[in-house]
Amino acid sequence: MRFFDPHIHMISRTTDDYEAMARAGVRAVVEPAFWIGQPRTTVGSFVDYFSQILGWERFRAAQFGIAHYCAIGLNSKEANNEALAKEVLEILPRFAFKEGVVAIGEIGYDEISPAEERAYIWQLEFAVKHDMVVMVHSPHRDKKRGIQRSLAVAKELGLPMGKLVIDHNNEETVRDVLDAGAWAAFTIYPHTKMGSERMCELVKRYGPKQILVDSSADWGVSDPLSVPRTAKLMLERGIPLEHVEQTTWGNALAAYSQSGQIDVEALLATPVIDQRALFSDNSVLRGQAPRVDEPVPN
Amino acid sequence: MSTLDVSLALLARRLSPSERAWFDAARAEIGAGCSDDRFCQLISQASRFAPRKPLAPTAEELKDAQRALSGWNPERWSTLEALRVALVLSHPGASGDGIVRALREAFKYADVGEACALYKSLAHLPAPERFVWQAGEGARSSMRVVFESACCDTPYPVKCFDDTAWRQAVIKCMFIEAPMWRVWGLDTRLDAELARMALDLVEERRSAGRPISPELWMCLGPHAGPRGLAQIEVELREGPARGRAGAGLALLRAGHRDRLQALLPLENDPLVRQVFADALAGQASSRAWAALDPTCLPVSGAR
Repeated sequence: MRFFDPHIHMISRTTDDYEAMARAGVRAVVEPAFWIGQPRTTVGSFVDYFSQILGWERFRAAQFGIAHYCAIGLNSKEANNEALAKEVLEILPRFAFKEGVVAIGEIGYDEISPAEERAYIWQLEFAVKHDMVVMVHSPHRDKKRGIQRSLAVAKELGLPMGKLVIDHNNEETVRDVLDAGAWAAFTIYPHTKMGSERMCELVKRYGPKQILVDSSADWGVSDPLSVPRTAKLMLERGIPLEHVEQTTWGNALAAYSQSGQIDVEALLATPVIDQRALFSDNSVLRGQAPRVDEPVPN
Repeated sequence: MSTLDVSLALLARRLSPSERAWFDAARAEIGAGCSDDRFCQLISQASRFAPRKPLAPTAEELKDAQRALSGWNPERWSTLEALRVALVLSHPGASGDGIVRALREAFKYADVGEACALYKSLAHLPAPERFVWQAGEGARSSMRVVFESACCDTPYPVKCFDDTAWRQAVIKCMFIEAPMWRVWGLDTRLDAELARMALDLVEERRSAGRPISPELWMCLGPHAGPRGLAQIEVELREGPARGRAGAGLALLRAGHRDRLQALLPLENDPLVRQVFADALAGQASSRAWAALDPTCLPVSGAR
């Protein structure tokens, strides 16, 4: 099978992860801009971070036959540093229209503070004006209220609900998101957000429509194989193949290809990895024999 | 014809009416003196309006390019790159500080596709040496596409790099697997130091039991010396076919025509024989290594 992980922070992952993901059938990923585990102190750090997820990380992914897209945005946590946030929003348009930017994200609420709301609104208005998809991070604390508010503000500003992805849902929030007509994404994390087993129950209960499964793997304890692992369990639990495909590939493709930044035809073709064509052996390969003409197993 | 004229002619034959309309409007806006911010946006947004497909210039077009700027070979450019370069060349401050500021900004915010186009544009600008630090950044890149945009199929390195940067760029081709024969003007800047660096690398590879790129022999030229000749002979005796071909070319370039002549009838590999024969017939410039490049397109008129 092939998988699309629509939320993963690959800059924190190793080449072992990339290899494992490719072997497991992960063909495409979205890397949303987020914080880096600690607060940044200058706008230059954001410039380099955006450049990195658009540039070097995409090249790294391509080396393993994985299409790498990204979302550009000012995250909710760092929106609370208002002086810095202002500077970040000023340079954000420089990156939002680059090739392979499939959304504005991940944005939204963390503490649900006024500063977060100002940044969220600014970015929603930007997305509406430029007809872009929005990926919303939902808060850990006061999640249900946070999601309801994220939906309400986006609706009020005129964002079409088909262009809104709300992430990190759980059993308590999914109904609101689906009813609003937005995409409901679920992060499969060991021990915290959502487990594979619960995910199976959710797909059984709500069906595959509008539902996306992702790993949100980053620098914390997380699993870049969450999506294929969950798909496997879904099949074992008797969920129809087409529902599994829809929630682990098709819906992510449908949501993010609205950006016009995904060459769907190229993505559907069997990828051929030619590491020699893309990279230097002194940077990523470090002397191993390059993998050439080795298709990613479907 | 200026290189801008050549670029415009190339684009005129390839852009659809809607692409053309966007390009004309963007070019007019830049020509009228827009802000650096807007300049960067237009360079960036080009990807949304122009196709990333091979430019595929004809032999005649390649000749026009070469006539406009010796060493410019757009054989492997994309249409999008040609369009972005034309936008850069349309900047009204191209000979003054305006373009320096605008390009500094554009490079800072460039994604990979933009960076490639921007590096490709540098040799086309007036007083290109103004951008030598930036071009060095391209040569320092670990992304092969970026490196090649700065160093291959352009006269920029041979014209503007200092000796250190020049030798580093040439030798780095080995490490990043960029085609060294595409470094324009290589034969005009060979020296004993580059030959020494190449021979050190030959010995390093031999000690490690690793293969030697056939292109390394290109760096010797007339500076092979006894050390170089000894290594060439080892390669001719023990090396694989492409290695022997590269070493044979180096032999001729070192002035040992008779020795190559003597080796020709003893060689069994058809590719190697062909390279030897062509070398003896006069094709022994750095461009002759194209015949040994498994990834290269058929070599066209831009020699």
